[in-house]
Amino acid sequence: MAYSDKVIDHYENPRNVGTLDKNDENVGTGLVGAPACGDVMRLQIKVEEGKIVDAKFKTFGCGSAIASSSLATEWLKGKSVEEAEEIKNTAIVEELNLPPVKIHCSVLAEDAIKSAIADYRAKQASRKKAAAE
Amino acid sequence: MDPFETLALPRRFGLDLKLAEARHLELSKTLHPDRYVGAPPNERRLALSRAVEVNEAWRALRDPIKRAEAILRLSGLEAEVGETREPKPSGAFLMEVMEAREALEEAKASRDAARVEGVVREARAQLGDAERALARAIDPVLDQGGGAAELRAAIPLLGRLRYAARLLEEARNAEDDLM
Repeated sequence: MAYSDKVIDHYENPRNVGTLDKNDENVGTGLVGAPACGDVMRLQIKVEEGKIVDAKFKTFGCGSAIASSSLATEWLKGKSVEEAEEIKNTAIVEELNLPPVKIHCSVLAEDAIKSAIADYRAKQASRKKAAAE
Repeated sequence: MDPFETLALPRRFGLDLKLAEARHLELSKTLHPDRYVGAPPNERRLALSRAVEVNEAWRALRDPIKRAEAILRLSGLEAEVGETREPKPSGAFLMEVMEAREALEEAKASRDAARVEGVVREARAQLGDAERALARAIDPVLDQGGGAAELRAAIPLLGRLRYAARLLEEARNAEDDLM
């Protein structure tokens, strides 16, 4: 199957590969997987004053899964958490010209974003609760 | 197609692979085109398509992932197996997968053959565990005439098998690269 130029570009020069400190209370970590292909994707965001100041990812999977998560980290930086929540997999499909058989890779990236935000929010909630006690 | 039926074998995950291979060889011989020289064209065509089916059945049964998929599909879980339809793996399990893949990546980057070999062993052990777990989840249900409702619990185990197979594949590739 032929990959689009944009997928190849992200695959060969992935942006923002790496790790943020998962114990940092301003860092949200999303860990998701696609059992049907044996893929695993970790996406992390660092939030300061409601804005995403950094995003990192690590994906073991096909070119489309790597490209989807790489693109997601590019899009996340500079967005507010609320804006980040609005990122849809269909936008990733459009940007990367993913074929129908690879749409599930973009779904995985959207799940990873949502899961990172949920983790960040859960940390903030427990911090507030701890401060109130 | 039911690969078990094609090779006249009982539908089980814990399959006797030696017997399955023997059936495949036996049927392939019987259906070989050399035995149909001079036979009517429709008989020749039929033998050829049966031979293709026998090969496909053997390919589906010798691979534990395809074998499990075949059983689940034939048991009415077709719509719940494959692509994005399978349940999401637990966070703890994904953490283990991520750690194993990262350890392999590091071992590869530092060209540490002993560590790569360690991952190969680990992946083999995981694969064996997943196969045994699948046999326990599938075979007693089939023996007792159970169906989709009882077999649904095997789907996450199939996911584990695929993750283990992927790890083994990657670890073996790394091993080849280091040789």
